[in-house]
Amino acid sequence: MKAVGARLPRYDGVAHVTGRTTFVDDARVPGTLWVKALRSPSHNADIKDLDVSKTEAMKGVHAVVTWKDVPLLEYGHLSALGIPADEPLLAKDNVRYKGQPIAIVAAEDEETAQAAVDAINLDLEEQPPLFDVRKAFDSDAPVVHQWGNWYPHFEGEMDRRQIRKGSIDEAFDRADAIVQGVYRPAAIEHVPLETQVCQVVPEADGRLTIYSCTQALYFSMGVVAAHLQVPLNRLKFVGGTVGGGFGGKVDTATETMCSLLALKSGRPTKWRWTREEEFLCSSTRAPWHMEIADAVTKDGWILGRKMLTLHDSGAYSRFSPYGLTKHSFHHTGAYTIPNLHFDGYVVYTNRVPTTAMRGFGVTSVSFAVETHMSRIAKELGLDPFEIRLKNANRKGDTSPNGIVYTDPSTIPTILAVADELGHELPADYRTMSSEKREGELLPEHLVGQIGNSEDH
Amino acid sequence: MPTAVETGAEVLLPTSEDEAVAAFGDGAGVTVLAGGTIVVPEMTYGYLKPQRVLMLAQAGLDGIARDGSRTTIGAMTSVADLTDLPSPLGLCAANVADLEIRAQATVGGNLCAPQGRDAPRGDLQSAFLALDAQVRSVGAGGERTDPVETFLADRAGRLILDVSFEEPAAGAFARLDRPHTHDYSALTVCAARTADGTVRVAVAGVEGPAVRLPSAEAKADDPAAAGAAAVSDATFADDALASAWYRERTLPVLVRRVLTQLQEAA
Amino acid sequence: MKLTVNGVEHEIESAPLTPLLYVLREELGITSPKVGCQQGGCGSCTILVSGEPRRACLLAVAAVDGSEITTLEGLGTAEALSPIQTAFHQHYAAQCGFCTSGMVMAAHAYLENGGGTGRESIQEALAGHVCRCTGYVKILDAVSAAAGGEVASNQRWLPQPGEEAPVEVPGAPA
Repeated sequence: MKAVGARLPRYDGVAHVTGRTTFVDDARVPGTLWVKALRSPSHNADIKDLDVSKTEAMKGVHAVVTWKDVPLLEYGHLSALGIPADEPLLAKDNVRYKGQPIAIVAAEDEETAQAAVDAINLDLEEQPPLFDVRKAFDSDAPVVHQWGNWYPHFEGEMDRRQIRKGSIDEAFDRADAIVQGVYRPAAIEHVPLETQVCQVVPEADGRLTIYSCTQALYFSMGVVAAHLQVPLNRLKFVGGTVGGGFGGKVDTATETMCSLLALKSGRPTKWRWTREEEFLCSSTRAPWHMEIADAVTKDGWILGRKMLTLHDSGAYSRFSPYGLTKHSFHHTGAYTIPNLHFDGYVVYTNRVPTTAMRGFGVTSVSFAVETHMSRIAKELGLDPFEIRLKNANRKGDTSPNGIVYTDPSTIPTILAVADELGHELPADYRTMSSEKREGELLPEHLVGQIGNSEDH
Repeated sequence: MPTAVETGAEVLLPTSEDEAVAAFGDGAGVTVLAGGTIVVPEMTYGYLKPQRVLMLAQAGLDGIARDGSRTTIGAMTSVADLTDLPSPLGLCAANVADLEIRAQATVGGNLCAPQGRDAPRGDLQSAFLALDAQVRSVGAGGERTDPVETFLADRAGRLILDVSFEEPAAGAFARLDRPHTHDYSALTVCAARTADGTVRVAVAGVEGPAVRLPSAEAKADDPAAAGAAAVSDATFADDALASAWYRERTLPVLVRRVLTQLQEAA
Repeated sequence: MKLTVNGVEHEIESAPLTPLLYVLREELGITSPKVGCQQGGCGSCTILVSGEPRRACLLAVAAVDGSEITTLEGLGTAEALSPIQTAFHQHYAAQCGFCTSGMVMAAHAYLENGGGTGRESIQEALAGHVCRCTGYVKILDAVSAAAGGEVASNQRWLPQPGEEAPVEVPGAPA
């Protein structure tokens, strides 16, 4: 254990500070073709015609790939978990977000590749777009996805992630007040300094060497193999050096398409997104719409929470069902609430598909819950620290998904924050610990409801 | 090579002011490359595909000359070289981007900068408007010296040689700051008072080039009223940096601040 | 055209409007300047032109014809790190490493120009450089330490062949 508490040199530190680290863009492969994509100029449209014949005939163009060239067009990010796929690698019948790839080109250099993309004939019929996650539920909202406006494939073909605990009606009947709030954090772009980039080399033995900036190498390998319909042993991934990802590099954004072009042209291919592409076309952290109504007593106990969450998945599902699931498990934050009624939906819009980003699914609900705790304190005229300490998770409490907390850290954290801020607390709060509640801290309404995990 | 700028553009590389003027001619079909902070990325991204490029890197045209109270700044003078000049120009220059960009960007480029796709450009324009600067330029019809206001309204086909102004009695500067310093400022407001008491106020970050705010100037003695009046003089840009709504609500604050600073400098 | 890069003179064949960044990376194979945004917004490609920091993506190569260029490859080597490189390494100022080349070059120029240990002046010097990993604190620590002479060419952190990496325990006597 001599490493614990010690300052150890980073294994890659010297290479970084001497500029010797080889990122994907730094691999030097002679004869490499440059890749560009024809991206949808429309947020939502039907594809009436896609003609690449002129492009294929252009000087310097070595390969053009459309949906027709993809052995398995739709393979979902969660397909490995048995969840059905909804997103084509390249658009086929329609485009659902601005920037969606429709065709890809490999050419001698970037300028030729761009000219080749510009020469593709694309005929679109515009459809009304949907940008706001809440409006997806309005009766006059355009339907923007083949499954409807929200994901219908949770366990048991449920159309939502649902949590029920205790008796929400009883909690609301007994409440002194109902405190409501709506929270809508916006999308966030990851902005890795290294944009999405990939280099693929077709080897003499028929294998592909794939230099990838993926954050999830074996996952990406499975995705490429599935789309290409080849066994994993045909792919050699070179990775592990990521120029910043933060969740934005789990989507396997470039590897499959570069591989298809390498196979079709027989030449090494490279695709490095421009900063504009990164901002306009790469996935983002999701925007969310969260409505909370809490049944509270006048002395600050939260008896029950009703919550509706709409997770903006963008045009396709990707990892969103997983993100919403994590979100639902955390929807009480660092606090214990005995009666819960949670409905969460993964909603489709015509924004770029959203994906993981540091604390996937959870930062949104933390923002909402913490803001809401302060709102409760304000509406009841109570101290915001005291209300947090009172309702804090303690040993033996259970999470919304029934996990028993064995070492919760809410109380020490809030006490430490109070110390840092110089916030005065009454002695009975100052001496609180994470041990099981008793005495005044286990009021009648909570007996048998919390802190007694064997009842669940 | 992975770059979209490997075009067959003709590059003119004058090594003196006279050569630059001759090469520019009437300006038809010529793209001027001064510091390059705007033109080079525009070429990289394929937005600009010039046929003839006049590269001024070796043309001289730089330097700051003082003659009594009059300051003359060559078009190729870097923004970094202005930072010690009196307010509002010095402060305004010091707040442009970061030190690497300031050392490369030029006065001429800043005065000629078109509105960006996602952000306004040309912060210094507001300082030069407040200073009632004169712009000496060449192009069709030969050499011309215009008030900067006239120049900004009709600057196509002109090559700037230098900019000059009388040192003001007092100057003031305020900007709508962005968290990351090399972001273009969303709004830049500059004001200056001449020895005879004339006050000029101008704003950059509006739609098109920077503009003077005559309604604010007319109420210069009452900063709050001037701020409120200023809104009617500007058409606000609406871009990735800030919405027009936000700019409209911020301008009165900035105008009030610069005019208060001017009063305090009295 | 000619460039002297890290002390070596090169004849340049790229077109005159080619950004210096691509001349370095593609024609000369010098890859420490990174392609981050290609529009001067991130600082990943910063190199030194006659000792002064500049964005390589914003310079048409003809504009620096005949200049002395220094890239990160021209500072120290793994065997003999320069003080600023040592400082970045010891303070964990390089995380993913992508912004590091530009960040180190700007910091090196700051030190060469006599920059001090003050946070504000370091922030001013590095204002054009984006890092999405560190939150900047470790970078400021590193530059400040180098400016204060706290690191020379300290190589205690370079494991020698066959040796275990040395372990430093905070608070333990040296």
